Amino acid sequence: MTRSLSIFNFKAKKLVTPAFLAVVCLLLFGEAGARLFFAHDISGRFAYGYDPQAGFAEYEDGRVELYRAGGRRFHPQSFQRRRPPGTFRIFVIGDSVPRGPSFQEAYPWVLQEELRAQHVQAESFNLALPGYGPRRCQIVLQKALEFEPSLIILHVNDANKWEDEREWRRSREFLGWHPRHWPMKVFIFRRLYEAKLEKLFWPLVPEEIRLKHAQNDADAQVAAARDPRELAARLRLAEETTAENVALVRGRGIPLVLVTQCRLDGEPPQPLTLSDHGLDALARKLAGPGVYHLSMKEVFSGQPPLAVFANYSGHLKAPGHRLLARQICSRILEQREALGLEAPRAVYAGQQPGGRE
Amino acid sequence: MSFISWQYLIFLPIILALYWVLPGKRRLPLLLIASYFFYGCWDVRFLALVLATTGIDFVCGLSVGGKRLGAPRVVLLALLPGAWLSACYFLLPSSGISPAMLGLSVGLGLTFAGAHEAVWYLARDRRPRLFLVLSVVFCLAILGFFKYFGFFVDSAKSLLAAAGLKSDWTTLKVILPVGISFYTFQSLGYVIDVYRGRTPPCGDFLTFATFDAFFPQMVAGPIERAGHLIPQLQASPPFQATYLQDGLRLLLMGFFKKVFVADNCALLANYAFDAGTALNAPWALLGVAAFAFQIYADFSGYTDIARGSAKMLGIDLMQNFQFPYFSATPSEFWGRWHISLSTWFRDYLYIPLGGNRGSRWETLRNLGIVMLLAGLWHGANWIFVLWGAYHGVLLILYRVLPPLHSLEAEGGPSWRRAAAIPLMFLFTLAGWAIFRSPSVAHLASWITALATWDLAPGLPWRSSAVWLVLHVTPLLLLQILTWKYRDETALLRVPWAVRGLIYTLLLLLIVSSAEHDQEFIYFQF
Repeated sequence: MTRSLSIFNFKAKKLVTPAFLAVVCLLLFGEAGARLFFAHDISGRFAYGYDPQAGFAEYEDGRVELYRAGGRRFHPQSFQRRRPPGTFRIFVIGDSVPRGPSFQEAYPWVLQEELRAQHVQAESFNLALPGYGPRRCQIVLQKALEFEPSLIILHVNDANKWEDEREWRRSREFLGWHPRHWPMKVFIFRRLYEAKLEKLFWPLVPEEIRLKHAQNDADAQVAAARDPRELAARLRLAEETTAENVALVRGRGIPLVLVTQCRLDGEPPQPLTLSDHGLDALARKLAGPGVYHLSMKEVFSGQPPLAVFANYSGHLKAPGHRLLARQICSRILEQREALGLEAPRAVYAGQQPGGRE
Repeated sequence: MSFISWQYLIFLPIILALYWVLPGKRRLPLLLIASYFFYGCWDVRFLALVLATTGIDFVCGLSVGGKRLGAPRVVLLALLPGAWLSACYFLLPSSGISPAMLGLSVGLGLTFAGAHEAVWYLARDRRPRLFLVLSVVFCLAILGFFKYFGFFVDSAKSLLAAAGLKSDWTTLKVILPVGISFYTFQSLGYVIDVYRGRTPPCGDFLTFATFDAFFPQMVAGPIERAGHLIPQLQASPPFQATYLQDGLRLLLMGFFKKVFVADNCALLANYAFDAGTALNAPWALLGVAAFAFQIYADFSGYTDIARGSAKMLGIDLMQNFQFPYFSATPSEFWGRWHISLSTWFRDYLYIPLGGNRGSRWETLRNLGIVMLLAGLWHGANWIFVLWGAYHGVLLILYRVLPPLHSLEAEGGPSWRRAAAIPLMFLFTLAGWAIFRSPSVAHLASWITALATWDLAPGLPWRSSAVWLVLHVTPLLLLQILTWKYRDETALLRVPWAVRGLIYTLLLLLIVSSAEHDQEFIYFQF
């Protein structure tokens, strides 16, 4: 390090200052520590929903862990590959609506608690993706069917094919050599970026601003899309994919609940209205033996919109999730026999939910 | 090519490596090619304008200095833009160059060459002055056409319409070339300096072309003086490790200001000043505060990156900002904000107009004229003229009103100055509201929201205010540290371990906002 480099005619050691070394060491230690202790957080980063295996970790002892949804970390959930006898296993597949404001406020968790309160030995898992993409939902559905579900709850939305394509492109691009992805391949950089996004950007910056800011983002395209032809195309895509999904689940003889989503439309001073964008009609056509339909529009009509929905969106607040969970719970109990639920049995106080961490 | 792009992060190290490996005489060609490549990445057609400005001012600079450049060389230089456009026309068919464009550039080149030769032969006694006029006329004509043509035509149409006259003119859609105001002013400054005898005429076209197009500062300044930059370009100093260290520190600071502070403040400012936003009082305040920090961090961040890039090439660029928001008076503010432009207007406009050497009325008139033109320099829009006028009025009030005028004379710290700084900051904020408003109507709604303290429901502002504070606080802490020592390298005074920690934090903060990629505000000027 101390020898002179003839080209530059300077001592190389002068380049490396103690402060520079400190920066390099701090980053290296940070990265090494992160990779050592948070290895799970790295794999399958952008592949969940595209690669059937990504996001799920299966172990030799039969344990399955779901630690990721989309590009984002999720509350880790684990279960046994084979459903324990007598357990009613529910998988909820959908977009950011069932994904919820937080893991324990989202309705899949609340539904499990409601069912257990009714003495049903249930386990409910949230497999929702951030952002909607019918292709991705289908891949997650295919994977979920491997784990012996008792019931699948599938959310139906008017398909956002942009987002679907964007996520797909991101997952492909990210694996490539392009220099623009280099910073985000450093784990501590990526975690910091995501943490800021999730803990600061979303909670602090109003949604309207976020959408305006995201000029090139799929969200902005969705927000801007008012073209009836585009909406019709999206509905068509949702219809096709949902029909495929229904056939897939029916083929396995597993009961399916189609939850059609709705959205809070209208801007002040106009009154807010709930709109299903034609999804309810779509799901009614597909409903039949073993396939049930629940309309969010019907569930929430009569409720003060801003008490259950986040501002001007389809996202539910915690009270909305609780209401939806109660509705699904009562529908399950109504269909107890058709769903093959065993007679109620006592759950001992303090018993841990099956397989849940 | 933007500084905030992965392309630049590859481009710069390659240029640095080549620059320091090459022998001294090869460095200028490298810098020139790199600069043209850097600029051409936006639009290859714009390079013709750079070549035109460079050719005109190179020839005029020499002629003002009394050096004769042969007529064939003048013609050759005058035809450079046409040659460039022709090459693009044939080699890059998608570059959008039309035969009309080619004809226009050749015609203008020949006109300039003809005018030059005419002045040389016909006006022997007044050559320096006339060559200066020739340079000013041609450069300002280019600037005026590309930046102000649409503005003046539209204004004239509006005026005629207001007078009840109908006009059926078709306005040309002229694209504003990036950085045209910056390099035109830099180039003009050179010719004026030669005329005043402050700098010798540059006889080497390669050096002058590099001076005109030096990539770190070409697009948004600092607007350099020939006497400062040209000798550095010619010097070719041996490599020193401090170049790299100082340059990297400036780059880090620049990226931090731009990516972490400016782009995040922009979210709120863009919303508040969107034409469709119905402002209430909290958002009027929040928006203008966000914009004040956005524009400062954006532009001073750009300057830091420019200076850092140049520093790594062994070249010092002038400081463009010195804590402008800590100013107590408007004249102090303009001595600290965009210093290279303020001093340009001072040296090449205010002083030639008479400066403060005449009567009090003349001084105030000169201040008003300079600020109006400084406003217009920022953009072809009446809102910028209004902003310039506002600052002109502020400058005049601080000169005329005794309690305010006494602040100008006070030097060191005092309670009056301490109280005057927040007041000046409020005046500056009001100025930014004018500057950022998309229209006079929006400005009126901004004023109304504040004046009536309109608390109509709107987007949640408290959480947005927290967002703003989170992004501005680290910048303020760094600024206070630097302000305390009156030294931009104040970070070097803290122990190396703390410094290392600060650098790491800055780097992490940059990465945490890495997805936002907004363009620099001053590119549009």
